[in-house]
Amino acid sequence: MISARAVLARATPVLACLGLLAVWQATSLVLNNDSFPTAIEAIRAIPLILGDKEALINILASLRRMAIGFGVAVAMSIPLGLMMGRSRTVASFFNPLLMVIYPVPKAALMPIIMLWLGVGDIAKTLVIFLGVSLPVIYHSFAGAKAVEEKMLWSGAAMGLSAAQRMTRIVLPAALPEILTGCRTGLVLALITMITSEMIARQSGAGNILFNALDMGQYDTVFAMIIIVGAMGIGLDALFEKMRARLVKWSEPQFDIPVSFS
Amino acid sequence: MIEIDHVSQTFQTSGRQNHLALSDISLTIEDGAFVSILGPSGCGKSTLLYIVGGFVNPTQGLAKVKGRAITGPGPDRGPVFQEFALFPWKSVLGNVMYGPRQQGVRPAEAEAQSRALIEMVGLKGFEDFYPKELSGGMKQRVALARTLAYHPAVLLMDEPFGALDAHTRTRLQNDLLNIWERDRKTVLFVTHSVEEAVFLSDKVVMLTRAPGRIRQIVDIDLPRPRRRTELLLDPRYQKYLVDIERMFDDADENELPP
Repeated sequence: MISARAVLARATPVLACLGLLAVWQATSLVLNNDSFPTAIEAIRAIPLILGDKEALINILASLRRMAIGFGVAVAMSIPLGLMMGRSRTVASFFNPLLMVIYPVPKAALMPIIMLWLGVGDIAKTLVIFLGVSLPVIYHSFAGAKAVEEKMLWSGAAMGLSAAQRMTRIVLPAALPEILTGCRTGLVLALITMITSEMIARQSGAGNILFNALDMGQYDTVFAMIIIVGAMGIGLDALFEKMRARLVKWSEPQFDIPVSFS
Repeated sequence: MIEIDHVSQTFQTSGRQNHLALSDISLTIEDGAFVSILGPSGCGKSTLLYIVGGFVNPTQGLAKVKGRAITGPGPDRGPVFQEFALFPWKSVLGNVMYGPRQQGVRPAEAEAQSRALIEMVGLKGFEDFYPKELSGGMKQRVALARTLAYHPAVLLMDEPFGALDAHTRTRLQNDLLNIWERDRKTVLFVTHSVEEAVFLSDKVVMLTRAPGRIRQIVDIDLPRPRRRTELLLDPRYQKYLVDIERMFDDADENELPP
């Protein structure tokens, strides 16, 4: 009986997806509109896209930009956020700056960036970098600020220097919060990746999507949406698996899974 | 020996006012003595401990340990906090090994010592547990073992049993005394419990309500090893409790209500 329940728990996300596809299929059949292909038509178009060398190169180029933008942003934002969290001076310098940048949609900066850096990889990667940085900085900042003073004192009494306390106490103590920021950052990386490609249409997954739209290939449009969505879900699930492993020491027991992993 | 020489501490409150927490404290603590600092909450008794720990610099005066001025924290003075302050990402064993590893003890040796300490504080079998999986009393046992692991000459205990229930608290007091009686480290123990102070200490330093000044130093002349059940029937123990309670009562009558 327990195993039946476990099977059901595992199957729920799949069932939810199948349900969504069924609703889509039915709605599409009822509406019978050219610009709204059925789920089956869209799914049929997926192997055509993934089988096409050109399209695959485009998608891989997108993923590469996303990986670089995300990686560089995380590598720079975590140290900055941690330093802001532990030093009033650093925080009071960067906080106003970030408060100004935070609410600006990063894609809105795209025209200026394109003007200066062209429509190539650098401009798009920069937009992804900007999109990822902010949540990672803020969560690292909040995580570092919340580190218990007494924990740092305990480390100091053991002989840890200020730098060691930063890397060996503040960093691990703030890790759950930092990884929450990174998870948000990962989704934002995907969003900014697609938006940057729809503004600077030269290559990438976003480019395929919008070219297909221009040419009225609606099954391709919907297939690309499914592909991009699946990439998002897959990356998020992968990240969540890694996150849960890294911070299992801090996780409260939780019944409802918060991802597809 | 710890010497506290005319130490005063002023804090700036959020309203930009100066709050005098400690006023002109002078105190000498002999090596191997168990000394409690007893006072009402907010009297600055923890601050005094933090000054000895080197975590807080006194606004005025000087604290010395073994004749050298205290300028910062060091492994010769090991703190145990009411908040436990364990490293939550480390297992029990990882927490206890942390200090020795930092001091350069080889991993195998550090682990062997740490396992022995974990057994001594009564947590054999819990080596691989994470702090979140432990009760408050168990966490404080780990914190004590973690501090003992790097062999500080002085133990600085900041209301260590204040967050525990009465039963756990009593058990930990007994165990602390047993452990202390083996190697007689110098202990500076902050508490607001009269019974706890008298039961554990050689000397009780009574502080006044804020700003904390030394009201009285009471030598506790009771035989060791101390057994709680015997002490409860001992008229000398009872007299210490009553005398100290009375001194606080008298003072309260002359001061503002809390």
